[in-house]
Amino acid sequence: MVDRQLFLHINWSILAIVFLLFVAGVLNLYSASAFRIGEGTAITPFYSRQIMWGGISILAMVAAMLFDYRHLKNISWLIYLVVIACLIAVLFWGRTISGAQRWLDLGFFNFQPSEVAKIAVVLITSVFLAKINHPLGFRDIIKALCLVLIPAYLIASQPDLGSALLLVFVMAGMLVYQGIKKNTLKTIIFTMPLLVPLGWIFLKDYQKTRLLTFLNPGQDPLGSGYHVIQSQIAIGSGGFWGKGFMEGTQSQLRFLPEKHTDFAFSVFGEEWGFIGSIILLFLFCLFLYQIFLSSEEAKDKFGAMLCVGVFFYFFWQVLINIGMVLGLMPVVGIPLPFVSYGGTSLLVNFIMIGLVLNVSMRRYMFKS
Amino acid sequence: MSLFKGKSIFNEKFGSYFLIFLIVSLFCIFSVRLWYLQVYKASFYSQKAQDNLQRRQLIYAPRGLFLDRHGELLAVNEPSYSLTVIREDCPDIQATLDQISMWTQTPADQIHDDFTRGRSMVRSFENQIIAANLSFDTLTRVETESPYWPGVKIVVQPRRRYLQGEVLSHVLGYVARASEEELLKDPELRLGDNVGKQGLEFALEQVLRGQKGLRQMEVDASGRILHEEVLDHPVPGQNIQLSVDLGIQQKAHELMEGKSGSLVVIDADAGQVLALVSAPGYDNNEFVFGISHQNWQDLLSNPHHPLQNRSIQSTYPPGSVFKLVMAGLAHNQPDIRVSDRIFCSGSVTLGNRVFRCWKGHGWVDMTKSLVESCDSYYYQLGERLGVDRISEFALNSGFGRPTGIDLPHERSGLIPTRDWKRQRFNDGWRGGDNFNLAIGQGFILVTPLQVARFVGAIANGGSLYKPSLLLEEKKVDPEPLSWSEASRNFVYQTMIETVEGERGTARRLYKEGVIVGGKTGTSQVVGLLPQHLEDDPEAVDYWLRHHGWMAAFARKDDRTYSIVALVEHGGSGSRAAGPVVRDLLDYLFDEPHPFQ
Repeated sequence: MVDRQLFLHINWSILAIVFLLFVAGVLNLYSASAFRIGEGTAITPFYSRQIMWGGISILAMVAAMLFDYRHLKNISWLIYLVVIACLIAVLFWGRTISGAQRWLDLGFFNFQPSEVAKIAVVLITSVFLAKINHPLGFRDIIKALCLVLIPAYLIASQPDLGSALLLVFVMAGMLVYQGIKKNTLKTIIFTMPLLVPLGWIFLKDYQKTRLLTFLNPGQDPLGSGYHVIQSQIAIGSGGFWGKGFMEGTQSQLRFLPEKHTDFAFSVFGEEWGFIGSIILLFLFCLFLYQIFLSSEEAKDKFGAMLCVGVFFYFFWQVLINIGMVLGLMPVVGIPLPFVSYGGTSLLVNFIMIGLVLNVSMRRYMFKS
Repeated sequence: MSLFKGKSIFNEKFGSYFLIFLIVSLFCIFSVRLWYLQVYKASFYSQKAQDNLQRRQLIYAPRGLFLDRHGELLAVNEPSYSLTVIREDCPDIQATLDQISMWTQTPADQIHDDFTRGRSMVRSFENQIIAANLSFDTLTRVETESPYWPGVKIVVQPRRRYLQGEVLSHVLGYVARASEEELLKDPELRLGDNVGKQGLEFALEQVLRGQKGLRQMEVDASGRILHEEVLDHPVPGQNIQLSVDLGIQQKAHELMEGKSGSLVVIDADAGQVLALVSAPGYDNNEFVFGISHQNWQDLLSNPHHPLQNRSIQSTYPPGSVFKLVMAGLAHNQPDIRVSDRIFCSGSVTLGNRVFRCWKGHGWVDMTKSLVESCDSYYYQLGERLGVDRISEFALNSGFGRPTGIDLPHERSGLIPTRDWKRQRFNDGWRGGDNFNLAIGQGFILVTPLQVARFVGAIANGGSLYKPSLLLEEKKVDPEPLSWSEASRNFVYQTMIETVEGERGTARRLYKEGVIVGGKTGTSQVVGLLPQHLEDDPEAVDYWLRHHGWMAAFARKDDRTYSIVALVEHGGSGSRAAGPVVRDLLDYLFDEPHPFQ
């Protein structure tokens, strides 16, 4: 089934970069899950579970490479509808963990339909845009928005605003990549500001506080501004060379909140300093560039759009997460790919990469 | 591959440029931000991280103890528990203060006020005392509940306790919470500290205080202490051993019970104060953690002024006690002989004023004038010697100026002069003023301590010591009395005669086997009233009664005491102050006593 030719065309640089990111993430997680007790150190086993999830994810990635991605065109709608069904199911029968109803209990593990929805949206948008070969008009945009707003609304009501926004942003990125008609673009740009106050009404109180806190973190240093302030202290105090592996006082003494998930980059910045942070940032950019190259080399429009979708999927997460950690963006619960702890998100990340590799390894195949 | 077939307003490579643009922007923006945080502001954030994990706490230095001359403890320190907050560790300071108000059962407004007022005096991440001196019940409640209130800490502070209370209140004084003014003036003081406010506690503040230590702790986010080290060890305050003999002090205090006045006992040969009592006294323990408003008002409105240290802060006319100075001055004069006599008919007339003697003494020489305290003799002396010589001699004898004892707010008393009277009353010195001055009445004012020091100098051969309260004090050379040895000895012998002679006014001090000399004095509060001449002192309204003085020395083997008692409104010196001194003599010489 897998011929030698295909194997040779695998984009090894993507795999190498992902491997580096993953290793950096696990090391960082090891440090982040340690905390000092008296003169000693205790470690919670987050990192080992992350490695285990890494193994599962690689298998999923390989699975996502094995078949010809063009088959996905035919089943995209099916996936999309199943995801919608799961999202509806989660609202009724989902498990509630820390106030949010996001998980479907599948017996052996808890399954988050919102994560799979990200794949579904990338697929359905690619199918949609593959058929259009002109800049998008109003009608096209409305159709596309309908596709994304249904799952986004369902996810937002879990509530998981971060994932919902990510869906919309990923699609928006793909639409802009495709190109938009001049008049349509003008109209959108002028009507956007009117939508801002409308959106404000739909935000929950804690979400409003987060936004306000982002604008002025000093107003409540021990409340919701605490995260951002402590994160900046962690990163800033790392200095040029960093405090060294396992030496970050901000994370070891637990001043840093959510340090193994959303604020994992703060731990990294504190311990590895400016040098380490820049290298990590550069790796992410290289990673994005490789995905971009894959889209450029794809042999059909569907494959290219698939890569572009994955590009935006990672791009937004890196932008929002690091932006938040550096105090440039409001606090939104979006993890940093490969670095933050989280099994399902790791799994989806690897499946996404599997899709990119799938497209890129079949770039020389002739149309059959 | 090319995306579009057909026309587009965009370049067909737009999408590709767009993605490249995004990657480059991402890298540039975050690099700049990272540089800003980790390079440009690195030291700022390093400091912040340090502040996060380091807490500094003062270690209180124990205040120096007070001991009596035999090592008996007089003032000690006991642990007291205070409730403090670290503002930066409290997630909700308002709720925390409300909780403290519930614990201590203090009105919330007051707690909030105290917090706001004290805020500026406490550095960040330092404990601010909100409630001091917690009761045991409050302490146990707070101890069990404070884990739920981050930032709330119990701090142990040493608290002063005066074991003798009232007995030594005027000597030791007291400590109390430092005022805002004191806090601003003295950088070593922290909010909630106690400082000496009165007495030796005030005078020796710098010696007693010691130096606070500093402890540095490393804490985690929930304030748990992971590591601590002492940066500066506290230096305890110096212990102070007083020259005061607790036994004598207690006896003296007991003898003055129910009276207003002063009783001073000095070791005449060394100038050391053995007892310094002012009656009535007060309980100085009440001040240590804030006296209640009611008690404070009671102390202030008490007509007997318990807070006043009468031994050094009250001045009285010396009355006949001043005749000792007059006799010394007269004896010094070449043209006055001891045997010169005058006739006392019971009064002397000057112009149209009549100056009385308390009885008709008949023929009186210098010795008899002192022994029997004849006023007429001294009226005549006053006229002959004049104010200038008298006041100069009195000043040299230690009156009209502070003795220099180590207590705050000592008064000088007053030796009147011509200039003084002109300035004060815009009037010249008159003959009648000489008469009054000669018998220690009129303008002249002295403190009991001045009299005791003077009597000590008569008894010890002419040395005016600075009365010292501290056993280990550096010896100051005594000031020599400017009297001739013959004059001093005359007065010395005559004082003994006053006790031993059949008609001596101080004969009730007579004590077998002890050399005792004395002089009584009666100082008038108002002019002489007919009732004053009656035998029963109760006949006069309390506030109009004379003050009674008894100034004495007593010597046996190598011990020499100077003892001065003043009883306010006690009537005559012999009757009011005499028994006090008499009883004290019994205590000093009959009871087995360690002071040899």
